[in-house]
Amino acid sequence: MSVAETLAAVRPRSSRAVAFLVFAIAIALIAATPFLPNYYIRVIDSLLIYILLGIGLNIVIGYTGLLDLGFVAFYAVGAYSYALLASPQLDLHLPFLLILLVAACLGAITGILLGIPVLRLRGDYLAIVTLGFGEIVRIIINNLDWLTGGPKGIARLDKASILGIQIARPVDFFWLLLVVVLLAGLVAWRLERSILGKAWAAIREDQDAARGIGINTTNAKLAAFATSATIGSIAGAIFGASQRFVSPESFTLQESVLIVLMIVVGGIGNILGIVAGAAILILLPEVLREFAEWRILFLGLLMIFLIIVRPAGIVPRSFGPDKLIRRLIGK
Amino acid sequence: MLGNLIQQTVNALTIGSIYALIALGYTMVYGVLRMINFAHGEMFMLGAYVAFLVLSMLVGDVGMAGAIALTVAFLVAIFLVGFIGVGIERVAYKPLRNSTRLAPMLSSLGVSLSLVTGIQILAGPQPVAFPSFFPVVRYEVMGGTITSMQIGILVAAFVLMFGLYFLVNRSRIGIIVRAVSESRPTAQLLGINVNGAISMVFFVGPLLGAAGGILYASYYGIMSPSMGAVIGLKAFTAAILGGIGSIPGAMLGAFILAFVEVGGTALLPIVTHGVLGTEYRDVLTFAILILVLLVRPAGILGEAVSEESIVYKREF
Amino acid sequence: MRKFTATLLLGASLFAGPAMAEQTTIGLSAPLSGPQAYFGTTWHNGFKLYIDKLNAEGGVNGVTIAYEQEDDKADPREGTLVAQKFCDNAQVVLGLVNFNSGVAQSTLPIYEDCTLPTMTFGSNPSLTKQGYKFMVRPVANDLAGALLPAEYALGKLGAKTALIVNDKQVFGQGISEIFAKNFQDGGGKVLDTIAVAPSDVDFAAVLAQIKPKKPDVIYLGAVMPQLALFAKQMHEQGITATLIVPDGGYTPDFIKQAGEPNVQGALVAIQVPPMDASPAIADFAKLYKAKYGEDAGPYSIYGYVQGQILEQVLKTTKGLTREDINAALHAVKVKTAVGELEFDDTGELKVAPSYLYKVEGSAFQLVGSK
Repeated sequence: MSVAETLAAVRPRSSRAVAFLVFAIAIALIAATPFLPNYYIRVIDSLLIYILLGIGLNIVIGYTGLLDLGFVAFYAVGAYSYALLASPQLDLHLPFLLILLVAACLGAITGILLGIPVLRLRGDYLAIVTLGFGEIVRIIINNLDWLTGGPKGIARLDKASILGIQIARPVDFFWLLLVVVLLAGLVAWRLERSILGKAWAAIREDQDAARGIGINTTNAKLAAFATSATIGSIAGAIFGASQRFVSPESFTLQESVLIVLMIVVGGIGNILGIVAGAAILILLPEVLREFAEWRILFLGLLMIFLIIVRPAGIVPRSFGPDKLIRRLIGK
Repeated sequence: MLGNLIQQTVNALTIGSIYALIALGYTMVYGVLRMINFAHGEMFMLGAYVAFLVLSMLVGDVGMAGAIALTVAFLVAIFLVGFIGVGIERVAYKPLRNSTRLAPMLSSLGVSLSLVTGIQILAGPQPVAFPSFFPVVRYEVMGGTITSMQIGILVAAFVLMFGLYFLVNRSRIGIIVRAVSESRPTAQLLGINVNGAISMVFFVGPLLGAAGGILYASYYGIMSPSMGAVIGLKAFTAAILGGIGSIPGAMLGAFILAFVEVGGTALLPIVTHGVLGTEYRDVLTFAILILVLLVRPAGILGEAVSEESIVYKREF
Repeated sequence: MRKFTATLLLGASLFAGPAMAEQTTIGLSAPLSGPQAYFGTTWHNGFKLYIDKLNAEGGVNGVTIAYEQEDDKADPREGTLVAQKFCDNAQVVLGLVNFNSGVAQSTLPIYEDCTLPTMTFGSNPSLTKQGYKFMVRPVANDLAGALLPAEYALGKLGAKTALIVNDKQVFGQGISEIFAKNFQDGGGKVLDTIAVAPSDVDFAAVLAQIKPKKPDVIYLGAVMPQLALFAKQMHEQGITATLIVPDGGYTPDFIKQAGEPNVQGALVAIQVPPMDASPAIADFAKLYKAKYGEDAGPYSIYGYVQGQILEQVLKTTKGLTREDINAALHAVKVKTAVGELEFDDTGELKVAPSYLYKVEGSAFQLVGSK
């Protein structure tokens, strides 16, 4: 009996236990987090921001099948929205929720702005154009010194607060991010199941056929870019508020690539996969911090290994949150 | 003015020919496997490091190396990197040949990360002085300055590119590679050794990349573990601009990119009256890339996309 | 539960151990991987060299010093995680942190919140102007670093015109703007400011632009290896202006990578005195080489000096709490390898030594100091 067969034989009986275990661990983690030292909470905040970014980018890459290498541009739009609207830079100090709204709108607009020129492009041409877009945004931010502070960035951002409750400590951001990640995950998951989601899937599987059966691929693609960019931009605004300093160094091409890697290593098109990918690519280097360069080497080799062993990601596309829940309640 | 023009033209040609050597590797791999090999920039970096290692084994003090030692180091390094390229393909890409298109690309990102960090650990992260392969003599041509280095690089790059041209278009190996590139399943049916052809591509691509790396390191006088990343991205851009998968396209794209960069540096501040300085050069480069792709979605010399999308519909 | 508490107490008493051998921990943060790893590592090595020496002598007043070294990858986000880690660790009473001003910008608010005093290495002048109470900067900031070369160019070289090139990074842009201002205030004329990308290696196109302008001096606000590449290509293109570069150029690599004939006469401004300037520094250079098997990095001496500052702080502090250390740090007055140092209210050095070197042959010749 091969390994796969053994696994297949074991799976049905243990799947409920696995689902239960996953849930138990998740809830235990969430419940324990506020009691951890601030450093761990900060690491978890960082992880949640990347999960949020992953959920956003996954809409374009995982659902619609378009390789976007410039996602970090939207992240930057959000972060700089917060930095400009809540700092001494322009002497504006708007409330956090309003800025989140502005960031979301700006994100959607930039998403569509990027979407329009790349509608005709496919595959690798799309990848390089989005990459170019990301670099253009970063270079412009780096050079508009009068507005963005240039390479110096913007420091001394306001402490965020929601309805009078200050969001400043790492644990505050943990709760905020948890809510936002769950919301974004829910939205993405519902979208995938909607008519729009089916259109995305059709584009991913076969663009010409999708057009053939009457799907408006232009609108569907633009919707994908806009939704994805909105989530990216919200992540950026929260990142800005939590770090209280933004500079162009945080929005390099490597960051875009990291998010793509997270999605692919974890399991493309699947929110649970993103969590797994983020855990490997964000948490692991943090745990191995003391090994400096060796951890990066290890990460590189691990990436090759994981992709060869599981080319479609650690968590398969079909094993979404719904499956997990269904298994838990035993259907 | 004329002197400046001549000088900038030679500058662009020199940079362009180095870009071209690397862009060829991207485009050839893409041709046979439809895969972007993100680790290709690292072949360029390895070329310089291996050559340096060979040199220091040959002569001890690298700064004192003579012409024979330099030639030996050059040849040993490019062939060695060629074999490394074949080895990487076997280990990291071959198991993924029938998987999604994204998988080998990301595997190559892993390879790239491992190679850069590996060299950083072995040789140190800081840049190292690299010996010059040609004596530097300055020539004044109508007010412009051209160095013997630039001429040497141009000649070496063109020799290598013509070598590749003959290999692909005139030799038996070339026919095999082109057949696989045209259609892998058909080539397989015809009894062509597809694995052999792919290995060949992964030998020649890194070999040219390594040659580019050595020329580059000796032209600029330094090498560093991260040198492949920047130049790799530029060469990749050039390959896409020219139409990825097309060998003449890669060369054309490389020279266009170099001329845009040099022209951008020279003209941006003048044309915009100082509103946009040289710091916007890369914005100009990417803007031109995007414009070209809007008009020709498959690059300047690339084939139409539709055929590719029929054969390789499922991208992810 | 009681058993658990008892075990805890036992453990605590074991750790508290003999009261004589007190220990205190210093948090070290800098890029230890990536392209800037060399600077971060060698800077920290200078500090460890001095600390190990102190510990071998039995510590300061019986207090031995431990350190926790972390990699911030020169990334503001990683920097905040490291900062939080140090903050959470009650053993850490002082941070020797952030090589990069950009990273310091994101970590200083965190250190301030947890009242952890830091010796910050980022040299951007704005860092000390934000009212942080728990930081000092034991190096000259860029204001001082760019004054001396401007005066030298105007006075000793008789330069009338300068051309500024910078890499559009925090350090390069900041310091070159200050140089330009000082040069203009002294009566010089800045012909043009040209930006290059930090990843650029080919300056031929830029140099062809500069050549017809015929500046007397070119100030290059950038870091290695761009400094060496620029110097080499500048000479190859036949430009004879005097090149002035900031502290990154103060390394033998600058001369080696550019090629000796290409950098003759180039000026390097740095906060570091010559390695043979005093017996203390010569001693340091020898110790460093003996311990690490290579020559000291450009900033190693400052790590060493920070060790000397720490020694004095431990000698004068009332206790080993963060507040006490912070008070002692701000009040410190100490003779170090680079001269006597003390801080003003903002945490800036009262007298920040800066030096100017000229490349002669394969060595740096001191031509001015301030």
